[in-house]
Amino acid sequence: MSAESFQCPYQESKLKSTANLVARAQSEIMSEKLEKVNLVWLELNGCAGNIISLLNGLNPDFQYLMTQMSNFLYSNSLLAAEGSEAMDELFNVIGSTFILAVEGAVSLKDNGVYNIIGRQKEHAVTGLEAVQKLGENAAYVIAVGACAAHGGISAARPNPTECVGVHEVLQRKVIQLPGCPCHPDWFMGTLAYIMLYGEPPLDSRNRPLMFYSTTIHDRCPRRSYFDQGIFASKLGEKTCMFKMGCRGPVTRIDCPIRQWNGHVNWPVEDDSPCIGCAQFGFPDAMEPFITFNTTRGEQGWQKK
Amino acid sequence: MAEKITINPVTRISGFMEIEADIENNIVVDAKTKGLMFRGFEKMLIGRAPFDAIYFTQRICGICSSAHSIASALALESAMDFAPSEQGRYLRDIVHGCEFLQNHLRHFYQYTLPDFIKLPENYPLFKTDHNDYRLPKNLNDKMVEDYFASLALSRSAHQMLAILGGKAPHNHGVFIGGITASATIDKIIALKSILDQIEQFINDKMIPDVFKIGEYYSEYYHIGRGYGNLLSYGCFNNYKDLGTLYVDPLVYSNNTITPFHEDEISQGNENAWYDDNDEADIQKPQAYSWIKAPRYNNLPFEVGPLARQWLCGDYRNGISTMDRTIARVLEARKIAKIMKELIAHLIPDVSVQEEYTVPEKSMGSGLTDTTRGALGHWLSIENQKIAFYQIISPSAWNLSTQTANIKGTGEQALIGAPVNSVDTPVEIGRIIRSFDPCVSCATHVFCNGQHRNIIQVV
Repeated sequence: MSAESFQCPYQESKLKSTANLVARAQSEIMSEKLEKVNLVWLELNGCAGNIISLLNGLNPDFQYLMTQMSNFLYSNSLLAAEGSEAMDELFNVIGSTFILAVEGAVSLKDNGVYNIIGRQKEHAVTGLEAVQKLGENAAYVIAVGACAAHGGISAARPNPTECVGVHEVLQRKVIQLPGCPCHPDWFMGTLAYIMLYGEPPLDSRNRPLMFYSTTIHDRCPRRSYFDQGIFASKLGEKTCMFKMGCRGPVTRIDCPIRQWNGHVNWPVEDDSPCIGCAQFGFPDAMEPFITFNTTRGEQGWQKK
Repeated sequence: MAEKITINPVTRISGFMEIEADIENNIVVDAKTKGLMFRGFEKMLIGRAPFDAIYFTQRICGICSSAHSIASALALESAMDFAPSEQGRYLRDIVHGCEFLQNHLRHFYQYTLPDFIKLPENYPLFKTDHNDYRLPKNLNDKMVEDYFASLALSRSAHQMLAILGGKAPHNHGVFIGGITASATIDKIIALKSILDQIEQFINDKMIPDVFKIGEYYSEYYHIGRGYGNLLSYGCFNNYKDLGTLYVDPLVYSNNTITPFHEDEISQGNENAWYDDNDEADIQKPQAYSWIKAPRYNNLPFEVGPLARQWLCGDYRNGISTMDRTIARVLEARKIAKIMKELIAHLIPDVSVQEEYTVPEKSMGSGLTDTTRGALGHWLSIENQKIAFYQIISPSAWNLSTQTANIKGTGEQALIGAPVNSVDTPVEIGRIIRSFDPCVSCATHVFCNGQHRNIIQVV
């Protein structure tokens, strides 16, 4: 057998899933079978890091997304307009067919006043109000990143502004893309799937199976060290970081094969443990992120 | 009679902001800058494992996350009385440099330029309702091209960051001692190659573009000065062998440059939504923002690229909206040059990591200048847990609220500015964006009675 025949075809096809879906969507748009979708990117209580991650997208890149795949209608970070004109553009989308992507958590405390996203005349628009108005009218709602999916870091204990995920305030299905931040491929691939085939196959917690089906641990390049019980005692070592707190065993996502920022690196390859940022429960259920000279369970922050 | 105008949202910034301005005879006579989001990070951090703060605090901000990891690592090192190796410092500062480049490219092209050039209106993202676009068509077209071309370069800057830091935003590499992984030769040459492309773009496109904008919008050299008080905690400085490559901790006020002293920092909250115990209080009558009021020597200060360029002596043309924007672009060139020098001094395959122990009880502070200006993290540890955490971010300095009769820096920069049309007050956004506001970073609370005076004894 030649060396090539040992390459895993599964890994190859997984890596290309986003690029293939996008290429297909593009060819269908060109042949006028498919229309560009109306896309609204709503930022709520969070760090606005998911739009930055989206700008890091490569094949497709952001320019391709906004010029070829979608009518990109709104983003607080990128919109040229400002003030009431911006708010009009946001809410005028209601009535058309559109996809709503949300990043950031929904703050519930005191009716949402801890997150004001704009003003319509005298009325201060809360994130809660905006996501409810737009969410009930959208064709699809995609929660992009940990905060939108389940509250994430914005909901970390003691959750001062009572943050929750988007699905908690909507009476409808929300496609969940947890991760801190969301990898641009996870979003682009999900969007392309919706454009071509409708809703992608989802797991029981509404995460697309094409990205979230397998744990990091299952595909970790350091798995053999785990199996042989060879564990790192400090960062910078090339062995298994399970005893330093790696959350790869409970985190379902494809980082080991997809990698980040043009596929150049990812946390474990960078000699640091996975902190479980793509798993529900991040951050509280994933702490402590890094420990020395201990096994997990002895230092959980809840333990007083 | 003054006419009141409100801009909300102020788009093309990180986070949510409102500006309220009183206009009389087409001049801004009063202004309020309001940060309108709040999450309470300092409260969340209490009780957590101290080392986790490096990853946790990054989530404050999506566009400058590395800055928080660095300030947090510095604060922990200070609490542990641990000095990183010079190789560790070089590696961490190279990561920081990547963040500067990413931020300045995106801020200039995606956040600033749409105020001055007409982007193609067939894309809904680019529609605007004002007409103050002055560039001739060929020049405008060229800058539209550069707007899109820049996307590949800012992406590459984050790619460089990921080569050393695992991923971006929210890197995994920055840690106590420097970074987690060592720099192998393939990483070093990849960094050099990408940096070379970014540097070319800065020299060939970004710098000519900003000076052209200055030419066609020349009145902005005289608008948006503010107080003219400048402050830096220093960055890329005080290396054992390389000395200071950028700027030391310095302060400029009353035409004089003096050394910076940490114990001159204070923070007020009389017009921010916090009660006497620093608990969030949305009912507080006179309050109008989640951003407090950091002061140095009881005065408001400007922080950021212009402050650094001025204090290190690289750029002293003036203090204004346009000078601030130009200083940011020139700083991108400076940072690329510094990164080249740091990369040249890397020794391949050196691991800077050790097994660290959390102190039983300690205090620490991490002060550094970062993309938007002076950033400070203060913490105390008790029973090996975080007992107190405080962050004063650059945008808290620049967008601070009023104390007594002293306006915040951004507010003062708006006052006196001309507004040609109250229906499309484009001038206000241009002025405030020159500070590169990051409201996600600027709004915080800290807990019960403890405040930074405790930390000052460190």
